[in-house]
Amino acid sequence: MSLAAGPGRGHVAEGQLPEELKLVVDKHVAYIQSLDTRRDELEYHLTEHLRIGGIYWGLTALHLLGQPDALPRDGLLEYVLSCLHDDGGFGAAPGHDAHILYTGYSVQILTMIDGFKALEEKTPGGKQKVATFIANLQQYDGRFAGDQWGETDTRFLFSAFYTLSLLGYMPHQRPSEPPIIDVPAATAYIKACHNFDGGFGVAPGAESHSGQVFTCVGALSVAGELDSYLGEEGKDRLGAWLSERQLGSGGLNGRPEKLVDVCYSWWVGSSLAMIDRLHWLDKAKLTAFILQCQDPEQGGIADRPEDMVDVFHTVFGIAGLSLVGYPGIGEVDPAYCMPKHITARIQRP
Amino acid sequence: MGSHGIPRVGATFDKSEQARDKEWKQIAQYQALEKDVVGRVNAKDYSDATFQLTSQLLTQNPEYYTIWNYRRLILQDVFARELAAADHPSEQGAAAADKAGLPPAQHEILLLIKEDLQFLIPLLKQYPKCYWIWNHRSWLLGAATKHLLARGAVELWQGELGLVSKMLGLDSRNFHGWGYRREVVQAIERLSGGGDEGKGSGGLVEPEFAYTTKMIQSNLSNFSAWHYRSQLMPALLSSRNADTAARQAFLDAEFELITKALYTDPYDQSLWFYHQYLMATLNPSNAQAPPILDPCGAAEHLQYLDQEIESVREMLDGAEDCKYIYQALLEYSGRYLELAPEGEGKVTVTELKEWLRELRKIDPLRDGRWRDLEGKMKL
Ligand SMILES: [Zn+2]
Repeated sequence: MSLAAGPGRGHVAEGQLPEELKLVVDKHVAYIQSLDTRRDELEYHLTEHLRIGGIYWGLTALHLLGQPDALPRDGLLEYVLSCLHDDGGFGAAPGHDAHILYTGYSVQILTMIDGFKALEEKTPGGKQKVATFIANLQQYDGRFAGDQWGETDTRFLFSAFYTLSLLGYMPHQRPSEPPIIDVPAATAYIKACHNFDGGFGVAPGAESHSGQVFTCVGALSVAGELDSYLGEEGKDRLGAWLSERQLGSGGLNGRPEKLVDVCYSWWVGSSLAMIDRLHWLDKAKLTAFILQCQDPEQGGIADRPEDMVDVFHTVFGIAGLSLVGYPGIGEVDPAYCMPKHITARIQRP
Repeated sequence: MGSHGIPRVGATFDKSEQARDKEWKQIAQYQALEKDVVGRVNAKDYSDATFQLTSQLLTQNPEYYTIWNYRRLILQDVFARELAAADHPSEQGAAAADKAGLPPAQHEILLLIKEDLQFLIPLLKQYPKCYWIWNHRSWLLGAATKHLLARGAVELWQGELGLVSKMLGLDSRNFHGWGYRREVVQAIERLSGGGDEGKGSGGLVEPEFAYTTKMIQSNLSNFSAWHYRSQLMPALLSSRNADTAARQAFLDAEFELITKALYTDPYDQSLWFYHQYLMATLNPSNAQAPPILDPCGAAEHLQYLDQEIESVREMLDGAEDCKYIYQALLEYSGRYLELAPEGEGKVTVTELKEWLRELRKIDPLRDGRWRDLEGKMKL
């Protein structure tokens, strides 16, 4: 699985009107399957640090497209487990250092391919080790570092929450055991990143950004605090800010006065879905925008029409289409960016 | 992540044989370099030669986070060796260090950090959105803070303020840049022994506030600058020991500034968000916007709602197709009527209905939101 962009580009096939656009499911499946065969491109090697992310994005897209077995399970399992370090963290590729983001993606992959048994066979007590790796990254003030080098970011906090919940190690999932992380301290930190406009920033004082909104809303959702914290007024304010991300083209941007981009279909759309305000967007126009970004001949979705496709925008385009109920796509969980029928097994607060 | 804004030029399948050969060679060279670096670090070879190889590799691929970690391992090792050798400084080193006013080990560490900060500058210019470069820069400054005397560290942090201004001059919305700016300012204030934000000898709140004015003047449509401005206010007012009258004068000046900007371009979302922010400081139910006025009660809230509804209403003249004006009128009027239900006459339900009708006509994208608003306001 590669993150190398291309080879195709998003565009509307000749003679096709936007309203006739259709998702080219088979082409996207073939595109994702072909990604690992591009070792003759320098780009493939330069993007090795995104390999685990690429697998998670590709696999999620395939699940939503109804082809969960289009990548060989044994190969995926072997690859993911080869990224595991002794301390319980996963790196982005074999030999790369452990990091909370890649640990999160790895656990998402293992969940989708039913790989926890294999994890325990390879490393007895493996799940607990992974959970401990994450818990050890929490700082005294509630934040989470990404790795031993200490950079903190609300993305890492969200990653910690959803990963622990997939492993069954969130404190609410183990009421009889001492909690391995301090959830109130973590959610207090998220609340400190909340802005007057209803959005959230990367740190206290930072400007609202759709990507950070997704991670903060997602973390509050996983912790079961979203409704009680925001209330209807907070949801209205955040929903207003998010809905202003949609521009005339139907696409969404990440902040005021920025360009539209397919990946924001996911971050903005999923956040609106989590606060029950998805109907504040024009779903038909968003659908048309995403479809214009796909390559109808070679598969894959780009950030904008005419740009190079890649697997990152492919999954977020497809997940965006799932949110707005595009026919034939599986239902996506807006907090986990995974198929809903799989996350349905998670024990929620 | 992923590729952004990259138009496709020539697909892989139509590469010439020559181009393919060249790419294979590049791949082989890259892989050999990678193997060399990884092998050396795994063997704990933290030499200068290994360090230079990480520079080569990171210049080719700054997203390769593991290599940044290796670079820090090497630097940590050198710092530790310098500190351990501090008891036996060389004569030459001692002389240079003495001139710099630092103990020899600290002097060496300072030079290494400065050199590495320099290494990052062309990378930051080429890849201004790469997390790992900004991250490494913060780490270097953190190491300086840890190992050097406060005076030496503060000088480095002050240099960063110049760099980040340059970066924001190139891209005034880069959120890594704005985030780093906040980090730099906090560090300078902390190291200057200020204690309270904005009040220390290194108090930067006034110059930072002036910086946002400058950024806004050069481009009104810069929400990042407006946002930063809003964040500086509590510290600014407290450092000025602003009393009731000064606070009111301050708020009035901000309203004047934003109203002028809105007349220049009422279609700019950034400006409306700032207007919304000023209004939010008067609204006790918005906990994310601390009050500017003191006291700041319902009477003040009502007074400004009254004033701003009037002012925004005037903006409609000549901009009847501007959705933000209707949005603001509906939002502020809704609040006005909540506070003063007898305030009909100032704003009538007929007028609210009219504004909403216009809004729905101009902004069909968000029709679901306007329908909900209609229900909520019982229109
Ligand atoms: Zn994107």
